[in-house]
Amino acid sequence: MSVTPALIRALERIVGPEGVVATPEGRLTYECDMHTFYKGAPDAVCLPTSTEQVASVVRLCLEGRVPLVPRGSGTGLIGGAMAPHGGVMVSTTRMNRILDVDLPNRCATVEPGLINLWLTNAVKERGYFFAPDPSSQMVSSIGGNASTNAGGPHCLKYGITVNHVLGLEVVTGAGEVVRLGGKVQERPGYDLTGVVVGSEGTLGILTQVTVRLLHAPAAVKTALAVFSSVEDASEAVSGIIAAGIIPAALELLDAPIIRAIEEGIGAGYPKGAGAVLLIELDGPRAEIETQARRAAEICRDRQALEIRVARDDAERALLWKGRKEAAGAVGRLTPNWLLQDAVVPRSKLPQIMREVVTISGRYGLVIANVFHAGDGNLHPLICYDDREPGQLERAVQANEELLRACLALGGSVTGEHGVGVDKAKSLALQYAEADLNFMARLRRVFDPQNVMNPGKLLPSHPACGEALQPPGAGRLPAGTWV
Amino acid sequence: MPVSSHALTDALSGIVGKDRLLTDSASLARCAVDGALPVWIVRPESVDDVSRLLRLAAEERLAVAPRGSGTLMGLGNPPRRLDGVLDLSGLAAVVDYEPADLTATVQCGISLAALAPRLAAQRQFLPLDPLDGSARSVGGVLATNASGPLRYRYGTPRDLLLGVRFVQADGTVTWGGARVVKSVTGYDIPKLMVGSLGTLGVLVEATLRLHPLPGAERTWLVTFPTAEQAAGLLAAILDSPLQPNRLAILSGTAVAGRAAGGAAVAVSFGSVPEAVTAQGEDLVAIARGEGGRVTTAEGGFWARPWRFPAEATVMLKVAAPPSEAAALCGEIQRLAGELGIAAGILGEAGNGVLHLAVRGNLPAADWDTRLITPLRERVTPAGGSVVVERAPREVKERLDVWGPVEPTTLALMKRLKSEFDPLGTLNPGRYVDQI
Amino acid sequence: MSIRSETLAGAGQLGAFDLRDPPDLEGIRACVHCGICLPQCPTYRVLGEEMDSPRGRIYLMRAAAEGRVGLTPTLVRHLDLCLGCRACETACPSGVPFGRLLEATRGQIARRAPRPLGERLLSGALLGLLSHPKRLGWALGAARFYRQAGLQRLVRATRLLAPWSRLRALEALLPASPPGGDGPLPEVLAARGKQRGTVGLLLGCVQRLAFPQVNAETARLLTWAGYEVLVPRDQGCCGALHLHTGRIDEARALATHLLARFGREVDFLVTNSAGCGSAMREYPHWLAADREVEAFALKVRDVSELLAEADLPLRRLDLTVTYHDPCHLAHGQRVRLEPRKLLAAIPGVRLVELADSDLCCGSAGVYSLLEPEMAGRLLEWKVQRIAATGAGVLATGNPGCLLQIARGCRERGLAIEVLHPVELLGRALPETEGIE
Repeated sequence: MSVTPALIRALERIVGPEGVVATPEGRLTYECDMHTFYKGAPDAVCLPTSTEQVASVVRLCLEGRVPLVPRGSGTGLIGGAMAPHGGVMVSTTRMNRILDVDLPNRCATVEPGLINLWLTNAVKERGYFFAPDPSSQMVSSIGGNASTNAGGPHCLKYGITVNHVLGLEVVTGAGEVVRLGGKVQERPGYDLTGVVVGSEGTLGILTQVTVRLLHAPAAVKTALAVFSSVEDASEAVSGIIAAGIIPAALELLDAPIIRAIEEGIGAGYPKGAGAVLLIELDGPRAEIETQARRAAEICRDRQALEIRVARDDAERALLWKGRKEAAGAVGRLTPNWLLQDAVVPRSKLPQIMREVVTISGRYGLVIANVFHAGDGNLHPLICYDDREPGQLERAVQANEELLRACLALGGSVTGEHGVGVDKAKSLALQYAEADLNFMARLRRVFDPQNVMNPGKLLPSHPACGEALQPPGAGRLPAGTWV
Repeated sequence: MPVSSHALTDALSGIVGKDRLLTDSASLARCAVDGALPVWIVRPESVDDVSRLLRLAAEERLAVAPRGSGTLMGLGNPPRRLDGVLDLSGLAAVVDYEPADLTATVQCGISLAALAPRLAAQRQFLPLDPLDGSARSVGGVLATNASGPLRYRYGTPRDLLLGVRFVQADGTVTWGGARVVKSVTGYDIPKLMVGSLGTLGVLVEATLRLHPLPGAERTWLVTFPTAEQAAGLLAAILDSPLQPNRLAILSGTAVAGRAAGGAAVAVSFGSVPEAVTAQGEDLVAIARGEGGRVTTAEGGFWARPWRFPAEATVMLKVAAPPSEAAALCGEIQRLAGELGIAAGILGEAGNGVLHLAVRGNLPAADWDTRLITPLRERVTPAGGSVVVERAPREVKERLDVWGPVEPTTLALMKRLKSEFDPLGTLNPGRYVDQI
Repeated sequence: MSIRSETLAGAGQLGAFDLRDPPDLEGIRACVHCGICLPQCPTYRVLGEEMDSPRGRIYLMRAAAEGRVGLTPTLVRHLDLCLGCRACETACPSGVPFGRLLEATRGQIARRAPRPLGERLLSGALLGLLSHPKRLGWALGAARFYRQAGLQRLVRATRLLAPWSRLRALEALLPASPPGGDGPLPEVLAARGKQRGTVGLLLGCVQRLAFPQVNAETARLLTWAGYEVLVPRDQGCCGALHLHTGRIDEARALATHLLARFGREVDFLVTNSAGCGSAMREYPHWLAADREVEAFALKVRDVSELLAEADLPLRRLDLTVTYHDPCHLAHGQRVRLEPRKLLAAIPGVRLVELADSDLCCGSAGVYSLLEPEMAGRLLEWKVQRIAATGAGVLATGNPGCLLQIARGCRERGLAIEVLHPVELLGRALPETEGIE
């Protein structure tokens, strides 16, 4: 179970000496993803350039039962792309080609290291786009998006990554290269593509991804609705969904976030507002015009103070800039924060937001909110200062209480960030032992020797000798994806 | 340890009650699985019943076939073993429906037809429209991954199933997924269950993503003398910002009674009335440019049952790259003409999935060598497949109804099956490669 | 798995750093490890390795500050490979001052992590040459002789320098034709028409010798724009190259000299060299906090900024032009729109965007000489993208980029003119008899 000099030499024979990082300094830089609280440096990093190389690396590690940790751009928020048990990290950054763009069949096949936005950039002139848009899309890889089943603001209308993955090529934990799904949208047999998407590298390493491309909508309309309270804004969200309007995106930002954005970026959000909703509709022009009128009525019924519609692309871009860089601006509110990614049924939004206020008061901590309201996917940012004794502990408790409150309302532990090491223990809040046992057995089918990303996704894994650190104490000051 | 049939009957009726255990020959014949007669039928009333029944089946090494509405009991290979049928039509409750969440949790035995009015009252719907009608159960639709023309906009069961409760082969009640629209907590177990034909677990409860019913919907029919001529229109629709909610290509006997001409492309737009009209106008312009004859369909176009599958001798599901849909329709019609059989095709044209119903008298060998094998040879190189969904027994015996699965992938599927159903309790033999 | 270790700040030490110009800890801490910088980083684009990305380099600096790693040869190697292009700063949502962190770390390395003698001699010699116009002038004279005597063709033909990649890189940079120079500019040039203000013109070490015509055109255009132009003698060097290579004290001495030569009477201090402009704007950080220094830094302008506001009587030039963003203009000074605006303002010019226009060309001061392999790969990409534009002229406002890109196009047989924007503008401007 250890990485020996002989193993390093064997890795070098597979990927070439320039494809192996074994220096302490180099390995150090791979010890964490964006959730820098969780650190674990791999014993070696290799940077393969082909499926064959990945397969050879996996088979080599299988011989010695050496843990394998896949990594894309390392932008995850869950401690997924770090090596809690050492071993060999497989970085896909050198596998970043677009292999095939097939517009008549509205799909593309790419290598896993390709950056999400680069795919859209490659097809947008021809009127197409890749729908999943995590806030990290300018850096995160499509392989990483598929591995974590990433979401994003526009997933409200278009669905999350799994709805856009047609096929995969995977090197499983058993060392086989399997091709699942593909350009043709149906195949006989189990939907293993759907199972591997979101498996966070615990079933295998992705080496190719075939994704859907969508045609750009005819028209887009973006508006900002201003409210005096989060509760009114939440009621408006529920009202819009209940009225049968599914916007492309429906994002809620509360007062602390608005203040931070206006101080930092200046997106033109009204400073005194209690909350704003960023509403984007896209589709046939006549449809979005009608829906926009109806959504505006609903907002006004819920005491909206003002509704502003972006007049052009520049105004739309500014509204989105505020939203997308919101988290970066939070650094202006607080030196440290904890980020929650839980989900509630959308009708429970007003209720959970009241709960957030209660928890914030009880722990004496500011909780800022900027989230995918239309999906009920919360991202409360629990602000604290680790220089103040006791604040970190209180923040961890508040975080835990919030998660439990979401689950008590019938929610989910994580809406889009994933499990990683961060939430592995929290799975028991959502699933019974039998459910988790089923997942553990599924994992064993793909990874009989427990080498694939041990310590991630499930609460206890046979390969995970020691207990993990309790989740929650990560420092994520500014720039986190939410 | 095998028990006597008398003791087994007692055990079964001890679980579900005497009146929910059927052993009369008429019932057994009605519940035959692809011609194989079960020894008994049980109609559980609760998830716990299902759990106890499966535990009993596992202990007694019995083989069980779950059954929803019974529509597709001929799908797959004939069962390798069959003792009992688990008739789930009694598990038909709506467990939870909060319209404001656009989700519903239902028991899997409920039929689409029974669920639809509940949802429609809130101007919502479950956009699954399998060809064989709304009598089908939710569980059956999920387990067979059934779809229809609504798929173009709303996806397939995999896109709509958020959470699922199922009973494993050993009776363990298990939940996967979530009750909310967005969740990445753990593995996506619902994906594994969709299309698995009850071979990994018996689906008993599903949380489904619903959609708002469009305020207005209208359908346009564009007819062409041949299916090939529809290719340009389909390509133009796909390469446009139009948002049809249904897109289908019809050819052969599928056209009869629905439209005139050799082949038709049926497009419906569902939205606010203004957007329906505006998109319809755009479509008409494109369609005329492609040389099609445009008419509007009457209101019940999609609601009327499709007759052509009911009369078919052989039903095939052909999957190919979407861009080949029209050409493939044409090729199939030509092939049918040569064989002197009548073919009807309803194709989910934007997704490359064709439902092909063929009526005629051919020797069993000819169905295989002159129709199915050539079709497989045609679509397999591009990653396509041909699944024989219905065929006379002697045809099925000659061929692999599911078609080939790539060996390493198949090996993985077999490991899954043996992990979760090591005794072969659930639908043994019916799924791919008779697993 | 370990928990974040706390900073180990022993007496007189900051982990592996000493307290003489250490990298700013708050600046390092501002990095939240989000990775937005990765795709913008040229070395990450080429290598795909975390430790050769901005995020990784900051992580190494942080680890050094925390005492988790020393200034080891491996760490030095990863920092050496950084071009200092500062594209990561443009991308960073948290405002990490990467350039300063890098320069401070390089300062520590230069003083405390001795390099092999050969490397020190080479970088010292290069700096000594490039920052002293007289020596550079001599060297260029020798180079002209080398070329005119046919030695260049001989050397290139026989690949005589093949084993010495760095010397080869220097040789390859030499322009194909010797730059013409019309002698030094006068110390004062009067404004044409209504005077808008007085500017001081920085001549730049490389610019004044390799591209004297760029300085001449700069001065002429500024007078047309209504500025009186002062060209102080004995300006010396701005110190940019020294700063980039960690020779912080030398940079300070040069900056102090430069400040003294440009008095307070100018409204703007104008440069046509992106690297110089960027360094001068950073003076307040490196020199003691001083109102005079701050006032000086605030007066620094790239020539394109002043000309973009002017109303120049430009004639028609029927050309397709593409523009490469010099790193120290786009990222170091956030000047992107003005050069494009200027070029597009020339009647008849069709400005086409260059893909990855703000991705470093590999020049990066003396980088192309010190790291010819990485520089060569970036140049390869740059030339490919330039070729794809189909433009007849590539414009860019930095002498290093001009030399590097011209070399790349020459070597790959791409027939394209590589010009400073002011040269193109100069062509469109009516001839003037001498300089008024």
